[in-house]
Amino acid sequence: MNFWDKMLNIDRRWIFLAIGVVTIIPFLIGIGMPITTTTEVEDIFDFVNELGPENAIFVAFDFAPGTQAECMPMAVGVVRHAFHNDVPVFMTAYFPLSHGMMMAGFDYVTNPSIDGYYQVVEFAEWAHLREAGITTKAELVTEWENAGNVLPDNAANWVFEGRDYALLGYAPLFHLVILGMTSSIANQYPEDANGNALIEMPMLNEHKSLREVDLALTTAGSSACMSWITYAREKIGTPIAFGVTAVMATDYYPYIQSGQIIGQMGGLRGAAEYEVLMVENDVTESTGKAFRGMDVQSADHLLIILLIIMGNIAYFAGGAHKRHQMKGRG
Amino acid sequence: MKRTVPLMIVMVGGILMMIQYFIPHQYSQVVFDNYTEWAPIVGAFALLLGVGSLTRVHSHRIKRKAPNWPYSWAVLIPLFGMPFLALIWPESLWGGSDSPSVFHFLFMNIQVPIQSTMFSLLAFYIASAAFRAFRAKSALATVLLLSAVIVMLAQVPIGEIFGPWLQNTGLWILRYPNLAAKRAIMLGVGFGILATNLKIIFGVERNWLGGAGE
Amino acid sequence: MYETIGLWVAAFFTLAIYSFLYKENPIYRLAEHLVVGISAGYGIAITWEITLEPRLIQPLLAGDNWVLLIPALLGLLYITRFIPSIAWLSRYPIAFLMGTGMGIGFPLTMKASVLRQLEAAMAPVYASGMPWFEVLGNLVLIFGTLAALIYFFFSKPHKGLFFGTGSKIGIWVIMLGFGATFGFTVMGRISLLIGRVQFLLGDWLHLIE
Repeated sequence: MNFWDKMLNIDRRWIFLAIGVVTIIPFLIGIGMPITTTTEVEDIFDFVNELGPENAIFVAFDFAPGTQAECMPMAVGVVRHAFHNDVPVFMTAYFPLSHGMMMAGFDYVTNPSIDGYYQVVEFAEWAHLREAGITTKAELVTEWENAGNVLPDNAANWVFEGRDYALLGYAPLFHLVILGMTSSIANQYPEDANGNALIEMPMLNEHKSLREVDLALTTAGSSACMSWITYAREKIGTPIAFGVTAVMATDYYPYIQSGQIIGQMGGLRGAAEYEVLMVENDVTESTGKAFRGMDVQSADHLLIILLIIMGNIAYFAGGAHKRHQMKGRG
Repeated sequence: MKRTVPLMIVMVGGILMMIQYFIPHQYSQVVFDNYTEWAPIVGAFALLLGVGSLTRVHSHRIKRKAPNWPYSWAVLIPLFGMPFLALIWPESLWGGSDSPSVFHFLFMNIQVPIQSTMFSLLAFYIASAAFRAFRAKSALATVLLLSAVIVMLAQVPIGEIFGPWLQNTGLWILRYPNLAAKRAIMLGVGFGILATNLKIIFGVERNWLGGAGE
Repeated sequence: MYETIGLWVAAFFTLAIYSFLYKENPIYRLAEHLVVGISAGYGIAITWEITLEPRLIQPLLAGDNWVLLIPALLGLLYITRFIPSIAWLSRYPIAFLMGTGMGIGFPLTMKASVLRQLEAAMAPVYASGMPWFEVLGNLVLIFGTLAALIYFFFSKPHKGLFFGTGSKIGIWVIMLGFGATFGFTVMGRISLLIGRVQFLLGDWLHLIE
């Protein structure tokens, strides 16, 4: 066994160790290399940025915990962006486990320990204002603060359950639920995940079905996202945007070119681009986890390219390719 | 009753729903609304199949003391414990499904980290595979390799030190040749799905009946 | 306290899974089994709480929607799968969902995955002011799609100008596409690892933001 053969047969745990080290070090150094944005992500950002309180969007958490590292920053980014512009957000989940992801994502946006969070006002807490007929965001905030409620210093704004957001959650055979929502959202979800009746929600009265919704963003780690195109876009023309894992992202370029989706965030890079756009447009003050992860992504990609080059050098220089060819002939 | 009726249900249901799409009439809408309301309820019960199968497999392993049988308790206890904690255990004792609760704790601090970490193991294996298996053995393999390397570099910030041409080339590959290849594959898959749908609706394909008796 | 204990438990299980990289061990195996049990248990609880209770049980208890007994009984037939003598009854709910699901999906899938894609493949090659690389790209888009389709057409031998040359060009286009997919797959896998390292170094150890 020559040197090159020994190299090719190296214990793979050394490669594992190299990946581990190269992943940890850039985090500790913290370089913050700039990221340029692409039209695929800019189109989604611009679309959401044009919306206001009279519009509504769906953010679908269609991923399981396994792919949350990629999908969660996308969903969180768009929810934050919508909240910043007072756009009502319906949140759904395709799988039982994605229901947990939806709750975790919402918690991340509304967690007081994170600066720039959105302070939740639960549905029951502002029942008296609803009964008094106050349902527009601006009036609600004024009345709520006049009642002595003070927005914490590190909070970005109030969000009223039923006015700014509705946590719809999971339902079985979700593709048929999407189809059903093209007629009526309340028929599919008599209650939200917190047990509130949907028909009492002001945002539902203004947006009764998917026909009255301006965008559905699906963040997915599987082909679940296709259901939104098939059952919402093709049935009633709802604009759809994708936030998908990198593994799947290349598969959906045909849908961007065909105009069936308005844009796509592909993997951590896509999420990082959205974070950059939010900072550039004063939606948030700083970038998030996806952007911080991109330095590490650079280092790991370089290491993997190096491994490919080294593997090929060892394979050809050591003569392994000739032995394989001879074996093939024999 | 055992085979013909299910086949008839598939055919009638399939044709009815297909026709429904093309008839924008109020009766057609009533059928559609009722169907989309009912189907998730029927679908919800399918979970019983999964739970039943899991319980059967793991209780058999425990009974027979099969290799590694004690781990089967790690499946069965949370399988029944999670719904018990969420739906029956009193909220005053950390029951229920909202945070904070034992149910929420187990999901967020055991399920989520385990599943996320299991998926992340693939990073190590793909690195190992890149070293051992990704060879420029032929012209076509070299094209694949070059395309992968360009796209990998174009997607990360460090790729920008090579100049804008690299990112532009990466995007060009994604937006044109990649798109062409994926569209061809997708059209094939699309036609395949449609053909399979028709075969099942008209009873040509019957494997789904399974082995539950003739 | 709740969150702190949670972080330590999550860190323990994260490291338990990574221990597999060195060698398979009992803690990894325990974690592997736990994840199956918890996810199924979570599914039951959520399905009951979010779906069955508000959509089925509450309307039935209110006594105003007895017609919902039909999907309920149909759904319950799934259980017959575990009783060999009447296991065939479980085919009924499967038949209902499969037949109607395929019927309802047929025209929409045809539109989404075939017609719209064919329409989009007929893109204009050139428009005034279009840079050269876009014109080239559009040519690749049209002829590349055709060539890749020819490559997947197995009913004719890949010989001659049309099928032979077409399939050869097709495989080159496909390889470029697969290369891009491989590059993105690497990116995706690394991103998942980054997520866990962010948890360990940030949320747990507070070494990074």
